[in-house]
Amino acid sequence: MTGFEVLNAGILATVQDTGRKGLGSIGVTESGVMDEFSYHWLNRLLGNDYGTNALEIVFGGVKLKANGNTTFALSGAKVDASINNQPIEIWKTYEIKDGDILNLGFASSGARIYLGVVGGFDIIPQFGSTSVCLKEGIGGKPLHVKEFLPYQSKVFKDNKKLALKNQPDYDEVLTLRVVAGYQWDLFDEVERDKFFSSEYKVTSQNDRMGYRLSGEKVLSTCKGIISEAIAYGAIQIPSHGEPIVLLKERQTIGGYPKIGSVIPVDCFKLSQMKQDSIVKFEHISLDEARRKCRKFYKFFQENKEL
Amino acid sequence: MRFEVASVDSLIIYFGKTIDADTAKDVRRVFFTLKEANLPGITELIPSYTSLLISYDFINFSYEQICKEIQVALEIVSYLDTEMSTRDMLLPVYYGSDVGLDLEELAISKNLSVQDVIDIHSQRTYFVYAIGFAPGFPYMGEVDERIASARLANPRAKVPKGSVGIADTQTAVYPRLSPGGWQIIGRTPVLMFDTSYEGFSYFRVGDKVKFEPISKEEFLKLGGEL
Repeated sequence: MTGFEVLNAGILATVQDTGRKGLGSIGVTESGVMDEFSYHWLNRLLGNDYGTNALEIVFGGVKLKANGNTTFALSGAKVDASINNQPIEIWKTYEIKDGDILNLGFASSGARIYLGVVGGFDIIPQFGSTSVCLKEGIGGKPLHVKEFLPYQSKVFKDNKKLALKNQPDYDEVLTLRVVAGYQWDLFDEVERDKFFSSEYKVTSQNDRMGYRLSGEKVLSTCKGIISEAIAYGAIQIPSHGEPIVLLKERQTIGGYPKIGSVIPVDCFKLSQMKQDSIVKFEHISLDEARRKCRKFYKFFQENKEL
Repeated sequence: MRFEVASVDSLIIYFGKTIDADTAKDVRRVFFTLKEANLPGITELIPSYTSLLISYDFINFSYEQICKEIQVALEIVSYLDTEMSTRDMLLPVYYGSDVGLDLEELAISKNLSVQDVIDIHSQRTYFVYAIGFAPGFPYMGEVDERIASARLANPRAKVPKGSVGIADTQTAVYPRLSPGGWQIIGRTPVLMFDTSYEGFSYFRVGDKVKFEPISKEEFLKLGGEL
């Protein structure tokens, strides 16, 4: 069997794809990759089908040994990587040969590194997805030492690279565009102004479930609401007034007021932010938001060839 | 019914402002109707006490288009026997002090005997309003005011699998070992979430549930773990 043998598992690395759909009514979270921008580009570089799985690595620290030849690539956070101690670049495809050691340092910019192989990892999907959800015990376990991550032995000749102008910069202040919704009306003009004119800091409580931010407190006319389903990117404002942006592993139902939702393409960028990063919110109309996100998905779903 | 934007690819329909059986019935009617209708643009339906979140394919459908589609579907299927979808369910629970971690304190705080708490909890028929928080976690109501009690000030880091808890006038079962703040009064040997179940969740929204007190021996015989 061909695949990666895990020598170092890092802090948290999980296999992810586009996640589970249609199980929200029985409490199963969506899961899936946190940063779809890096993930879809990764599959594009590798010539993979839309939605092929990849390894999502938080910060780095992973060391793998190849058993059998394949072509792979890294994307996402900026990290020092090497094959047999020879430095390699991210956003570029490489061949890896039987016995080669792939080593990742720790990210210097950004939080999540994606590792993909041609054809993806051979993992049996659970509830229609290979995404690992640690909290729910669905989709298997996070990467661990001595685990074998199987892939098909495939090599293709022409290596590909993402143009520098398309590579993201995670060190800029991030503006998160927000569609008004949910309990928007419970926040008056003054509170909304505060929300949209303040800078917020990413706290240490940031994970696949959501990002808790600190900064200017926003108050609503109600303390809690009757529990209701939570959309991707929804911004909860608990009674302490500091926003929480809910991401891929959010719980399906919750009882805090929500001022609206961050649009998906900006949630992907937020997913690359580390503790103490600065973010701002900006209002966007539903039509404009739809146009922006539609463009993103159409680009990745329709154009197969790079 | 009030339609509201939730995000770029989802909307939420509100059916009322209070937790009650009539509102829950409206939620359920629309939930099952849309599930049955299987509209091409709809990707996810998540019902709760007074609302229904609908996610849709926003690449091919605008908010206005999807709202219209939903309204048309609801008009065509003007009647659907939603009672067909409710089931009478019996859930065995072992109310021992070894598994009912908060049972004694709850009884003391309510000026009741432990047996009173068990009787009051197991005499009523509950209604599954929503399933969420975790896979298969059923939000059930209403708990008798005499035993209704607030969440723990310090939530537990580990609530054992199968634990039956109370939070305000709600009651629920923890499907797996997880953190939680509900007051725990017993444990069921029945799995809440399993791939062998049709639909994976033991309960469905709309089910009517009664708890059946069982002995420690029965609990163990039914596969319960202490």
